[in-house]
Amino acid sequence: MNQTQNHPRTSAPLLGMSKAHFARRKITNIVMLSLTGAATVLAIIPLLWITLYVTIQGSRFLNIEFFTQLPTPVGVPGGGIVNAIVGTGLVVGVACVIAIPVAIIGAFFAADYPNTPLGLAIRFGTDVLSGIPSIVMGIFAYTIIVLPQRRFSAFAAGVALAIIMLPLVLRTTEEMLKLVPRGLREGSLALGASNWKTSVQVLLPAALNGVVTGIMLAIARAAGEAAPMLFTAFGSTGLVTDLNESTATLPHTIYIYAMSPFKDWQEKAWAAALVLIALVLGLNILARALTWWRARQMGLNY
Amino acid sequence: MFKQVFLFIALLAFAVNVAACATPTAAPTSAPVKVVETKVVEQTKVVEKVVEKVITPTPGPAAPKPGSIVINGAGASFPYPLYSRWFFEFAYVNPAIRVNYNPIGSGGGISQITAKTVEFGGSDAPMTDAEYDKAKGVQMFPIVAGPVVPVYNIKDDAGKMITATLKFPATALGDIYLGKIAKWNDPVLVSANPGVTLPAKDIKVIVRADSSGTTYTFTDYLAASNPEYKTKMGGANKLPKWLPSTLAGNQNPGVTALVQNTDGAIGYVEISFAKEGKLPYGSVQNKAGEYIIATREGVQAAMADFGNDLGDKLVASIVNGPSKTTYPISTYTYLMIYMDQTDCVKGKAMFEFFKWAMSPDGDKFAASLDYVPLPDAVQKLVEAKLSKVTCQGKPF
Repeated sequence: MNQTQNHPRTSAPLLGMSKAHFARRKITNIVMLSLTGAATVLAIIPLLWITLYVTIQGSRFLNIEFFTQLPTPVGVPGGGIVNAIVGTGLVVGVACVIAIPVAIIGAFFAADYPNTPLGLAIRFGTDVLSGIPSIVMGIFAYTIIVLPQRRFSAFAAGVALAIIMLPLVLRTTEEMLKLVPRGLREGSLALGASNWKTSVQVLLPAALNGVVTGIMLAIARAAGEAAPMLFTAFGSTGLVTDLNESTATLPHTIYIYAMSPFKDWQEKAWAAALVLIALVLGLNILARALTWWRARQMGLNY
Repeated sequence: MFKQVFLFIALLAFAVNVAACATPTAAPTSAPVKVVETKVVEQTKVVEKVVEKVITPTPGPAAPKPGSIVINGAGASFPYPLYSRWFFEFAYVNPAIRVNYNPIGSGGGISQITAKTVEFGGSDAPMTDAEYDKAKGVQMFPIVAGPVVPVYNIKDDAGKMITATLKFPATALGDIYLGKIAKWNDPVLVSANPGVTLPAKDIKVIVRADSSGTTYTFTDYLAASNPEYKTKMGGANKLPKWLPSTLAGNQNPGVTALVQNTDGAIGYVEISFAKEGKLPYGSVQNKAGEYIIATREGVQAAMADFGNDLGDKLVASIVNGPSKTTYPISTYTYLMIYMDQTDCVKGKAMFEFFKWAMSPDGDKFAASLDYVPLPDAVQKLVEAKLSKVTCQGKPF
């Protein structure tokens, strides 16, 4: 950390460098170190602040009822957001089922044939896709699913989220597959394993850490999207389990409740925000824990 | 050995991942439901027994599952407090039917019913001819009426919020929205409000950002009460070109929240938003020169002023009526449906709900939230029109 201190101090200037020179280096080091340290702390502050603030604001209104009851209209006390919690699960579940297989299989191709036209196209396409604002995915799903079907549905919302998740999962999976040592792959092929067997049984397990992390992060991102939900999931006051029905979701519920002028709803918005943050944070921590646990099991030192 | 551990871990990790994706989707399909069976024995004794049984989805015409018929609506935010209450209460009347309503604004309601993504739309503004052309076969009908009130958030010089009911002379609101009255201590407002010390603060004018029926009603009133407004801004409009200095909020909730958070603000919202949002609202001078604070009677007088002839389109403007007791910024709020329904089950369920909403049972909730039920004559018109609705070309 403080390299200059380890230099042997000799009375004679080292290589013609004066004592003042060393002092300057030392001061520069201290200044830069504290600057980078301060930047790091600054970067963490928003997360801590948001988490703490939402926890303080939200936990006051959390109770069992909040997780088990359906919402009540303005002026009727009590009620919860069980429909939004289940709805978010439903919608994200659909998105997972659609996005993950496509993303992983696509990533295999992109990693195996990186310089073919299709490989380049996949990489370019997913990069562009991940830069498109999520509200556009909402309009897209609205146009291709909601309008022809003439109904808002959890399925349409799932498709919108799947498009958001797809590039995230694909790119992380591809990067992770590329990190697998070439020798492993060649060894597998040399032993007579077919290409797909090598992919599924050698490459994927070796890259699984990163893949799972990527999936978790994509889920966390998708679960927090409010904008596409406006056009697709539409919202519902009931507990919905049918993919063809409109459903409430957590971010959409927060949006409606937070925008409302009613104190009761604003309180519920804080509590719902806390639930959503806990969900996303929980997924992230789970992903990290899995990575760490598996690394330890394999005797790797990350 | 290593390979086995390896595979096991891989499988486990996958399982956890899949579980993470799939667990929340697991749905409670069949839960034990307590069913109360009431039997009348020999006309005198009522025997009640509680039977616990598991209702499983069975094929065939069994008792409908709670919430098995879902009706979606979207549109005006003006009646949302009442609608959400109605849907909530109606679930006890007929648990099989669930109504969802998304308060996206009147303009949004008209475009969603046009796109047929919802079973019914809501709007406080009548559809224009161009809108009717795009949505052939749509019928509007009033379901309830209510007042739009001017809400304000003014802190006096001591920093305390003024809670007094301010009086707005006939042309004052128009002048405020034209920018002619720009300060709260403008002589017009001061002379109309003796006893209230108005601060020398700029008036922050709040409007709606979206295409809105509440805006339509408000501008309808401004044009009727202020000739200069009518010349400069035109008549009723869902989305007029306001002054650049105005602040805009989304739907009634957005405007209410914006007024709550802006010192010196004035805005216009449906009355229950003002009440639930704990904002003071003013009384408005009507055509007869009286200052009227929005009440049920004021809106009833407004409806009476314009008679019960709503024409074939079943729409009417009821702003700035001539009676002494009339509250001048009143409006009907309308629902929009197709006269020929494509889904008979949903159509039937929808009518069951409409009928209930217009019955004394539904009126009860309207009154408790400061909405005003339709006069009997208008309700008869609506019922007559609804009786002509068909399903796939056949009467219900």
